[in-house]
Amino acid sequence: MKIVVKGMSAGYGSSEILKDIDLEIGSGEKVFIGGSNGSGKTTLLKVMSGLISHKGTVTVDGKEISKMKRKEAAKLISLMPQTSEVYFPYTVRETVMLGTYASSGSILGGAPASAVEYAVKCMEDCGVEDLQDRHLDELSGGQLQRVLLARTFAQKSPFLFLDEPGNNLDIKYRAELCDKLNVWAAGETSGIPNTLVAIFHDLEQARRCCTRAVMLKDGKVIFDGCIADGLKPEMLIKVYDFDVTSYSGV
Amino acid sequence: MTKKGTGLKIAISAVLCLFILVLAIRQGSVYISLKDLFGIIGGHITGKGTPDGVEPMMDSIFWTIRMPRAVMAFLVGGALSMSGACMQALLQNPLASSYTLGVSSGASLGAALVLILEISIPVLSGFMLPFAGFVFGLATVVIALMLTSAIDRSVSNTTVVLIGMVLSLFVNGMMNLLSTLNADHSKQLILWMMGSFSARGWKHCAILFPVCVIGFVCLMLMSRKMDIMSFGDLQAQAMGVDAKKTKIVAILVCSLLTGVSVAFTGVIGFIDLAAPHVVRKIFGPSHKLVIPMSFIYGGAFMALCDLISRTLLSPREIPVGAVTALIGAPFFAYVFFASRRKRA
Repeated sequence: MKIVVKGMSAGYGSSEILKDIDLEIGSGEKVFIGGSNGSGKTTLLKVMSGLISHKGTVTVDGKEISKMKRKEAAKLISLMPQTSEVYFPYTVRETVMLGTYASSGSILGGAPASAVEYAVKCMEDCGVEDLQDRHLDELSGGQLQRVLLARTFAQKSPFLFLDEPGNNLDIKYRAELCDKLNVWAAGETSGIPNTLVAIFHDLEQARRCCTRAVMLKDGKVIFDGCIADGLKPEMLIKVYDFDVTSYSGV
Repeated sequence: MTKKGTGLKIAISAVLCLFILVLAIRQGSVYISLKDLFGIIGGHITGKGTPDGVEPMMDSIFWTIRMPRAVMAFLVGGALSMSGACMQALLQNPLASSYTLGVSSGASLGAALVLILEISIPVLSGFMLPFAGFVFGLATVVIALMLTSAIDRSVSNTTVVLIGMVLSLFVNGMMNLLSTLNADHSKQLILWMMGSFSARGWKHCAILFPVCVIGFVCLMLMSRKMDIMSFGDLQAQAMGVDAKKTKIVAILVCSLLTGVSVAFTGVIGFIDLAAPHVVRKIFGPSHKLVIPMSFIYGGAFMALCDLISRTLLSPREIPVGAVTALIGAPFFAYVFFASRRKRA
């Protein structure tokens, strides 16, 4: 199973953000999407999830994503968005269980036992099983981020798209997140190898979690290769228009 | 919340709701014992007529005036509250309701035009008022959505609510103009804008009841989608919910519930905003509980408000919309801020 993007352009209204993108992501890959603010990283994830209309083609397992029903697309791809608003204080358990909607398909909210069991496993994987009766408005930003990650895992899709999953996490949880993502990608939770596509601003996280880098600049792919080459100072200077060697940590 | 705890809360709520309904039927200038009341109900249901020992006039007062009025108040309160709960979830805005989105005002304008212009479509016969309420309520919210998409390309939920409120005020202005230009209907229209259950009978209940059942079933079938939509359109789409389609179906259902209710009783605000919030504080935000309990709490609260509206300054009647706001606002503030303080 793979995602194939051919001659894809997309944007919002009349402004075109992504221009003529060609990309292929195969099963089991761990891909870092890099680029400066406004380069089109989030838009790329949204297009590949089928949430934004586009020109060109984006196929998952040979089927055009924009022609799939939402539930069908969600069974293949789970996306954890960059911003997560909470308007009503569901409990952690209720929130993670909602992630099983596409796979369990129950109408009135009673998910099958297997889905409940899997959701509990996802909570354990993300270290939020002790918080399951807490309400979302009682959690810290980092705890909420881990709950939403557990909900994304619970969707049980072979492709996992994460938009800045390290937001609000302290250094310990950032390191743990990488371990969990590696475990998830290896298929230890779901039983099948999974594909990870993630946006990070913390390049150390990108290095730890991913094996391939796709670097964007002004809506175009300017690099696609192994993570070590993608994170070399000369490439980063090109991507960010900034002397990264003067910044510690690179 | 444990299943046992939820079950107990539901049982207490059901008993409380039944108590308020019986109170709303019994209380007033004429009083009746419980035995006679159930005798009258049993007599009419079984077709045996007025039971022994009950005067025909009492039977008439309770069966043809008090009961349909209380049942109508309950159904309207329940319908408006279910609609409010749904709107709040879909628009992720605690201030969203059929009232703030202009559905109530639009429905009211439709019903007023039917009354003033004496419009009649033979095919619809007795359904003309609810039909007009539904169509105008739906038209208002559709206009609100069209204006929103013209102004705000992202169709943000905040803009939808703001435009809805502006439209609601505009339509209310049109209602005021109509009542000024039509002196003959002026009093009727002013009362309409404040809401009343006066002279509502079984024939009105017979129309509203199936509408409530249809609305309830549709919203319950959508309850899990509403839970997911509560997290925002983007997250809902990512989790497999077709946000646009869900919103369209939900708005249709809410317009039906609100439009038909308002067409019979006039505009009654606040209940659709407050009842779902109170329910969420007690039962949590899951819509498989919020929808049915909003119906029960909204219905019971409306029946209580109608009882107060007709008995407090008896024989004068206070518009029920004024009562819902006068009682509901401080109660809502207490529930809301008390739980915030507890959490802090």
